[in-house]
Amino acid sequence: MGRYVIRRLLQMIPVFIGATLLIFLMVNVMGDPIAGLCGDRQCDPATAAQLKKEFGLDKPVWQQYLTYMGNVFTGDFGTAFNGQPVTELMASAFPVTIRLTIVAILFEIVIGIALGVVTGLRRGRPVDTGVLLLTLVVISVPTFVTGLLLQLLLGVQWGWIKPSVSTEATFGELIVPGLVLASVSLAYVTRLTRTSIAENKRSDYVRTAVAKGLPRRRVVTRHLLRNSLIPVVTFIGTDIGALMGGAIVTERIFNIHGVGFQLYQGILRQNTQTVVGFVTVLVLVFLVANLLVDLLYAVLDPRIRYA
Amino acid sequence: MPEPTPPEHHLPGAGRTPEDGAIADTGMGGAMDLATAEGETLEGKPGGPPGTGPSGRDAGGASGERARSLWSDAWRDLRRNPVFIIAALVILFLVFISLWPSSITWMSPLKCQLSKAQEGSQPGHPFGFDGQGCDVYTRVVYGARTSVTVGVLATLGVALFGSVLGGLAGFFGGAWDSLLSRITDVFFAIPVVLGGLVLLSVVTSNTVWPVIGFMVLLGWPQISRIARGSVITAKQNDYVQAARSLGASNSRLLLRHITPNAVAPVIVVATIALGTYIALEATLSYLGVGLKPPTVSWGIDISAASPYIRNAPHALLWPSGALAVTVLAFIMLGDAVRDALDPKLR
Amino acid sequence: MLLEVRDLHVEFRTRDGIARAVNGVSYGVDAGETLAVLGESGSGKSVTAQAIMGILDMPPGRITAGEIVFRGRDLLTLKEDERRKVRGAEMAMIFQDALSSLNPVLSVGDQLGEMFVVHRGLSRKDARARAVELMDRVRIPAARERVRDYPHQFSGGMRQRIMIAMAMALEPALIIADEPTTALDVTVQAQVMDLLAELQREYHMGLILITHDLGVVADVADRIAVMYAGRIVESAPVHDIYKAPAHPYTRGLLDSIPRLDQKGQELYAIKGLPPNLMDIPPGCAFNPRCPMAQDVCRTDVPPLYEVTDVPRAAGTDEPPADRTSACHFWRECLHD
Repeated sequence: MGRYVIRRLLQMIPVFIGATLLIFLMVNVMGDPIAGLCGDRQCDPATAAQLKKEFGLDKPVWQQYLTYMGNVFTGDFGTAFNGQPVTELMASAFPVTIRLTIVAILFEIVIGIALGVVTGLRRGRPVDTGVLLLTLVVISVPTFVTGLLLQLLLGVQWGWIKPSVSTEATFGELIVPGLVLASVSLAYVTRLTRTSIAENKRSDYVRTAVAKGLPRRRVVTRHLLRNSLIPVVTFIGTDIGALMGGAIVTERIFNIHGVGFQLYQGILRQNTQTVVGFVTVLVLVFLVANLLVDLLYAVLDPRIRYA
Repeated sequence: MPEPTPPEHHLPGAGRTPEDGAIADTGMGGAMDLATAEGETLEGKPGGPPGTGPSGRDAGGASGERARSLWSDAWRDLRRNPVFIIAALVILFLVFISLWPSSITWMSPLKCQLSKAQEGSQPGHPFGFDGQGCDVYTRVVYGARTSVTVGVLATLGVALFGSVLGGLAGFFGGAWDSLLSRITDVFFAIPVVLGGLVLLSVVTSNTVWPVIGFMVLLGWPQISRIARGSVITAKQNDYVQAARSLGASNSRLLLRHITPNAVAPVIVVATIALGTYIALEATLSYLGVGLKPPTVSWGIDISAASPYIRNAPHALLWPSGALAVTVLAFIMLGDAVRDALDPKLR
Repeated sequence: MLLEVRDLHVEFRTRDGIARAVNGVSYGVDAGETLAVLGESGSGKSVTAQAIMGILDMPPGRITAGEIVFRGRDLLTLKEDERRKVRGAEMAMIFQDALSSLNPVLSVGDQLGEMFVVHRGLSRKDARARAVELMDRVRIPAARERVRDYPHQFSGGMRQRIMIAMAMALEPALIIADEPTTALDVTVQAQVMDLLAELQREYHMGLILITHDLGVVADVADRIAVMYAGRIVESAPVHDIYKAPAHPYTRGLLDSIPRLDQKGQELYAIKGLPPNLMDIPPGCAFNPRCPMAQDVCRTDVPPLYEVTDVPRAAGTDEPPADRTSACHFWRECLHD
């Protein structure tokens, strides 16, 4: 078990370096990192050269990357376009996005798993066919379309919600945006749960459980669900990172001032440090979520724990 | 020849095996997860019938025939599947109007009258006008061309690049395989919309090529993981081992024995991926970093219409509908093809 | 009679048609008796057992006719909840593949103890103690330490012992063992079979042993019922059948056992394949494969004949055992 964790951790180091380096290169090599520093005007050459020197941009890229990463590990993420430290932006943005992600994950767990269990147990019946078709439709409609439509219907036409979220972004305001963010994953969780339940329902150990004379409820909850939900739980775990990174679209539609909003601003204003800083944290979150899922997998499935 | 590592602890219904790679490939969103899961269920197909041909020629014939009969059985199933027929008709129609948009429109998508901005449906303009006074119907028709072009070219690029890299890594194994696995991990760690924003925001060209290039760059690891898995599965089949023991060369093994049997999951995943790339293009265009005007794209139009959502919802609904139907058609096509190819379901 | 199955019919509705898996099976088991049900795969022996246990998948399965009388009650008329209380407590089943039949994510202690928790209302702690006793009873070494282990940590033979312990937990009156040793190594097979036979004697249980292994049958069974295409084709005390089979199918099965004294001779094999259950041949289902088939076999379904004139060893004057055969020419077969 300990060796398993250590191997996983070691595997993640090159992934972290590779992913952050890739983003760093994209921003620094392809874009012009100082373009955003002189406001809306073009920098004059002398100022540009001075700025380059000041930020160490005249050095080779790999050196810049090392310097940057060195700073990051001492907690210095640099300065945003408005002069605020990037860490301050993070402190205001991450809680919002984390709340949004929590709402989305809850939707995935509650609705996704419930629908999956219902359809998996009633495979081939009308409920099953209907839900299955619905999930395909939800998966097919891009998130930004779902978001805009829900905003139009619930926010504008029926007036159930405010079309945009206030800066506090309370849980109540984030219900609809969270549903939008979760929608595609939710549909996928439904399908995954359904397949898993339907497969395990035919398994020998479920037949044994029935032959033992257990009540149907106990057969389903203790024997069928426990096994069927292992892949679902691991999917939802890895989805945490993906949801936080994918919140850009949802946050833009509902005007939520979270990570996606700050990243978007950073990109618009070509502020390298904001962009690379946020992406670095997101990649870290993603990797940690992956690691936790691997551990969770081992907890849930003794066949891995004792392998 | 290094031995393939069989997937350990594969749980029923699990979308991934933990030993596949350090990173789960969820960054592309649920639709791509669907594609990957569907591809993976096809990998575990039962091997050839026991006692398949003792001679090299027999083994070759058997593997070729097995792949052929798989496809002909699938085709027989598909012809009777209404979902497949509807999806295929929608796609044919889309391809037709992207090649000859003028056959069902009579205006230019760029000719707009500001005086008619946000007006609703009227004779000759069934879908009404958008915020710039352009005819929504014409723009929706012309938008299909962009979407189909981006989708098809990106999928071709991803499929070629990904399956060659993944297939070779799966076949030869060893150091290259490990290196490729680590590289794909790196790409999976970057959320795809985020990567698109960062990379495309610095590109100033307003052709479709940067968008396609970006999709190939971030999309190939998905297909390569699928191709690697299905080549490893195909490689373990008895007839491949038989052909190898009779001294068939690597290139012959790959081309004649493995490719015909490993290609099915790649095709299914690529079909579904095509739909997701179209959605991704629209998403990026909506965020302002994908295609840029004067290119006509559903994503651009939806983005442009969203400020007027209160007064002119039709300008948003029509391109959204077209986009949803298109993506749905490709995903359903892929789904139907997978069902037809999966012998377990028959 | 502890259990009596009367004229049971089971069919499966599939996309391709109706498969008639069981077509009028009747057999009975007494307390303390072992009935071996013999037949190829697809002969309906497992389906009959699942119908008795009430674990048939319905749909697609359907019991179209028959009675299953257990301790004087027809199980088929019971409500599902009453039926459930019989399962596990009064009759239990042992499956072929213990690894897949045990839940991989629950410890064996939990799975054994569950019987006591559900049927007897014991606390988890008491149930755990009973689980250890059970594991001791089926001779699993270091039961107290291993009760927390998971199925995959045991060897094949040990896992099958756990299955037996689970079936034995509430001391049921009837045990159905569906090919309990098929998945095991030959050396372990005998140990597991001996354990099962010993426990059966000790608790005076009825045992239905489903198998296709004639070697196992001779040692432990009292009676044999041979199934073919969903019917019992021959039923008799074990020694009578081995001495002189009264059905050509039974004869074929016996002749296909490899024997040391016939080394070098070609092994006998019943020609042809088992019938397609969606399209069972008219007349006697065995007729296309039968070396003795006549015209009547292709048209008339043979009834169950009482086999009476069994050749008996001189000097025995016990009455002829009850014995049936579903062959028009059972006499010829017997004396052949």
